[in-house]
Amino acid sequence: MKILLVCSGGMSSAIVVKAIEKEAAKTGINVEVKSVGSGEFAEEVKNGWDIALVAPQVRHRVNFFQAAAAEYSVPVSVIPPQGYSPLGGGMILAHIKKVLG
Amino acid sequence: MHKFFELLDKYLIPFMTRLSEQRHLRAVRDGIISTIPLIIVGSFFLVLAFPPVPFLAAIVKPYAGQILIPFRLTMGLMALYACHSIGYYLAKSYKLDGISGGVLAMTAFLLTSVPVAYQDKGLALLMENLGGGSMFVAIIMAIFAVEVLRFAKNRRLTIKMPEGVPESVAKSFEALIPAAIIIPAVWAIRDALGFDIHHFVLQLFQPLVLAGNTLAGILLPIIIITLLWATGIHGDSVVGSVARPVWLVLLDQNIAAAAAGQPIPNIAPEPFFQWFVWIGGSGATLSLVLIMLFSKAPYLRSMSRAAILPGVCNINEPVIFGTPVMLNPLLFVPFVLGPVIIGILTYFAMDIGLVGKPYILVPWTLPAPIGAYLATGGDWRAILLVFVNIIVTAALYYPFLKAYERKLIKEGTAGEPEEERT
Repeated sequence: MKILLVCSGGMSSAIVVKAIEKEAAKTGINVEVKSVGSGEFAEEVKNGWDIALVAPQVRHRVNFFQAAAAEYSVPVSVIPPQGYSPLGGGMILAHIKKVLG
Repeated sequence: MHKFFELLDKYLIPFMTRLSEQRHLRAVRDGIISTIPLIIVGSFFLVLAFPPVPFLAAIVKPYAGQILIPFRLTMGLMALYACHSIGYYLAKSYKLDGISGGVLAMTAFLLTSVPVAYQDKGLALLMENLGGGSMFVAIIMAIFAVEVLRFAKNRRLTIKMPEGVPESVAKSFEALIPAAIIIPAVWAIRDALGFDIHHFVLQLFQPLVLAGNTLAGILLPIIIITLLWATGIHGDSVVGSVARPVWLVLLDQNIAAAAAGQPIPNIAPEPFFQWFVWIGGSGATLSLVLIMLFSKAPYLRSMSRAAILPGVCNINEPVIFGTPVMLNPLLFVPFVLGPVIIGILTYFAMDIGLVGKPYILVPWTLPAPIGAYLATGGDWRAILLVFVNIIVTAALYYPFLKAYERKLIKEGTAGEPEEERT
């Protein structure tokens, strides 16, 4: 599964990338996770992602991300705030499952 | 308290979001951000030319002029670079050709300056009109140029190339009529009417720049940024898009003074906030993480262990969302009040000359003591001030963290993080 994370500068989401990868490895799910800053999102979302996750601190820009992702039918979802931490990998994977059904 | 967060969610956030997402402001933000690498590397040459250590300073003194060349052609031409990028991003946001937007913006900006004869060497453009101090002129002219480009496109005032002409050629011709409007218009205003656009715009924004350097001018962004973060919204990116032009003008004036060997005039360019207030990230949360390392609640302890390294690098989303600080009535008071107190403290410490004023832009992920030292051009007292600020905010966070800890223990949610997370 290919997961694209977007935050403001791509810094904090890099921490969350690790949290997701760690949790996925534990549960045996194959994931590819990448984080970008909000400025790079529109360029990156073109490259075939299964889901785009929006960091809670940039949730006010979610319409902008949705508009950019709609063209490539990538579902966009805001991460639950409590999951956005080095310990939140499990919560985020559960969230992804819920969104993708 | 929850009512209060609801009010923030209902009024402050939509307002600030709309403001920062406004098309022109967004272009200004993205345009200026694209020049930050030039400012960081360029202003570093200023430190090289005037190192803080006296014996090094004596060695490099004969070469100072040469060392300053990269500084003068990056930082010294900041508004020119920013103008092109702002024009580019604004044109892109209208789905127009970005390069045309950038080039037209730059032309309009340059035309506000009249070249002067320089001895017998020909004509020269004054560099003082092209640096960060002229940022507002660059912004206004970039917006003007791109709006003309848009107007021409909407009115179909473009020259259509026959088919088979390469796209890049056809695109550049699209800018022909806008250029034919912009160039004579700015020239006529500047020269025929003798109206000094440059001077006028600088006068217009002067009050804003002056206000940005007052105590009220630092507390307002501090409070708005922490209020936004208190509900989990990236405060600096929202407020920064509005305030950054002012911060850059203040920075430019400081840098110009430093390069001329004069006293640094302004307290409050962005490094003031970055190194002395946002220690560990917005809300000065490094102190919170430090005291959390010794918390009685295992959850807070493991959270702080995971958050300490990012925190030292001023990345504090883990603390804000993990602890959580956001929407947490108990931590709200020190989160907002702490930065206000250390903001005031730092302001006066710099005002009376206890600590040097910041004039160098350093990458924001450096640990605060190092960043503060470099930003003030090598003032060791800046390091002391950072530690004082950490202690002050830690003392303020302490009782509130204790109360939060008691609440977690009482609720039975202080235990093993993994269990309760999933």
